[in-house]
Amino acid sequence: MPGNPITGIVSKMASGGAPSDVLEKLYNSYIQEFGLDKPLYIQFWDYLVKVLHGDLGVSFSLYPIRVNEILAKALPWTIALQVPSIIIGWLLGNFLGVTAAYKKGKFDSVLFPFSLFISCIPYYCLAIILLYFFGVVLHILPTNGGYSMNLVPSFSISFILDVLKHYFLPFLSIVLVTIGGQAVGMREMSIYELNTDYVNYSKSLGIKESKIIRYVFRNAMLPQITGLALSLGTMVGGALIVEIVFSYPGVGTWLFNGIRQQDYPLIQGGTLLVTMAVLTANFFIDIIYSFVDPRIKASQIEE
Amino acid sequence: MKELLSIRNFKAYYQTSSEEVRAVDGISLDLNEGEILGIAGESGCGKSTFSISLSCLFPPPLKYISGEIFLDGIDITKLNTQEIRKSILGPKISFIPQSSMNALNPTIRIRNFAIDIVKQHEPKTTRENIIHRVIERFESLSLPKDVLNRYPFELSGGMRQRTLVILSTIMNPEIVIADEPTSALDVSSQREVIELLKIMVKKKIMKSLIFITHELPILRQIADGIAVMYAGQIVEIGSVSDILFNAHHPYADVLMSSMIVPEKGMREKNLPSVSGTPPDLRHAIKGCRFADRCPEFKKDCREKDIEMVELTKGSFVRCIHPLRTKK
Repeated sequence: MPGNPITGIVSKMASGGAPSDVLEKLYNSYIQEFGLDKPLYIQFWDYLVKVLHGDLGVSFSLYPIRVNEILAKALPWTIALQVPSIIIGWLLGNFLGVTAAYKKGKFDSVLFPFSLFISCIPYYCLAIILLYFFGVVLHILPTNGGYSMNLVPSFSISFILDVLKHYFLPFLSIVLVTIGGQAVGMREMSIYELNTDYVNYSKSLGIKESKIIRYVFRNAMLPQITGLALSLGTMVGGALIVEIVFSYPGVGTWLFNGIRQQDYPLIQGGTLLVTMAVLTANFFIDIIYSFVDPRIKASQIEE
Repeated sequence: MKELLSIRNFKAYYQTSSEEVRAVDGISLDLNEGEILGIAGESGCGKSTFSISLSCLFPPPLKYISGEIFLDGIDITKLNTQEIRKSILGPKISFIPQSSMNALNPTIRIRNFAIDIVKQHEPKTTRENIIHRVIERFESLSLPKDVLNRYPFELSGGMRQRTLVILSTIMNPEIVIADEPTSALDVSSQREVIELLKIMVKKKIMKSLIFITHELPILRQIADGIAVMYAGQIVEIGSVSDILFNAHHPYADVLMSSMIVPEKGMREKNLPSVSGTPPDLRHAIKGCRFADRCPEFKKDCREKDIEMVELTKGSFVRCIHPLRTKK
């Protein structure tokens, strides 16, 4: 990224009409403050030491607010948006996939192309389409923000309703794309599982369909869990873009602001946070997997 | 002896949009209480299709064509899927599948699967009662009851197959259909499974057993009667000793003489074989289906369809020139 962020900050102040030697002084004091006069490797070392102490530095664009503060404010919005929507989308997608595989016929021939279509739409595209349709054409849902500007955050019913209204569209666009991708994969897995011997054997013992679907769901889900772990990074990345489309006050929007304003500490902090979150989630998925599939646990114990 | 199962001219075909394969083409059969009937025949003769059709579920492309299966006087081919699932499969007819390796759901403990089976047919029985019942069953057949707490992959092949036998018979079915239950096992495990099945018939856990196999020596160990199948039809039914040493149908005769018996001179002996291949079941066949390969072929064999005839009591043959009959 070309351009010096400090010049940006100083020139913003210069618009007030300050004399040039004052600006010169200001510029130098900022350079010192951010440690930009030191050699690169020392800057990097300082950064590492600070990060290990939990300090992500001071934002360039919102000086003197600390990046920690910005992200701490944004994180709850992102978690509240992404965790439920990815989980619900994943569960719904898997459920629809197994049902399509079992029911076949019309249900499948409608759901399968639809899922394939939806899963191929990039996140931002679907988000923009939804935003245009519900927000601009129909005027029934707000187009941006986490809550209305004229409301003060509180635990009143009107505020919560307002938040939910703003929540719906970003939530829906993440859920829809997740459903599409998961349903396609789950359908394939379930078709495979439905032809296994244990399904035929269970049928021959008079076990009812709903129970057999549950067996199949559980077993076809196992590779889907691995798939979730693998695609979680992409999913979170896509969901961050959804935040930008809706100007949702989460990490994604702040990250985007940081990029636009050359706010390096904010970009570093944001990406570090997202990376850590994805890795942690992966770690937990791995642990969960050994509980869901007894065979994995057994092979671990043998080792 | 009470008659348990009576099958009359039963036909089930594989139907795809372009073709029709007459896999089971007019089978008639009676089964008495306490009887173990073996069904023998080469690959592709319709043994397994016949066993699947007995569940009356007819998974596509298999299709019911005609005929009746009377069980306790009720024609079960006329029942709908729901009734069959609820009242026939499990308590009346039960199956022991071939591939014990994959026949059990890999992610569920044997105990929970047993509970699932019983709950389907007796929704009011408590879990404790079911477990108690299954443990009793395991102990009465001197099998280790800790199998119940295991997952299928933790069991050996032989143990898994014996577990399948127990699970299939938990509802005390009247008829058990075992489709090659021993073909994936080594000889000692085979023996264990066969002994288990014999004891269960003796203990009246099941009333009778249909044992499908291509391994003839096993039938000698377990069966009371043998039905020999060829190209979708039964060509001969009779007692074990009759079929093994005194077969009347030329096909049954060659099939039985192809059995390797551990006796002197076997090593030097050339086993007889039949030239040719079984007929293509996609086309209607006129006359005897074995005519092309039959060493005893006569002109009139191909003139009209051959019916089963009773030679002596309980011994039927589908041949107009049966062997070893005094004329």
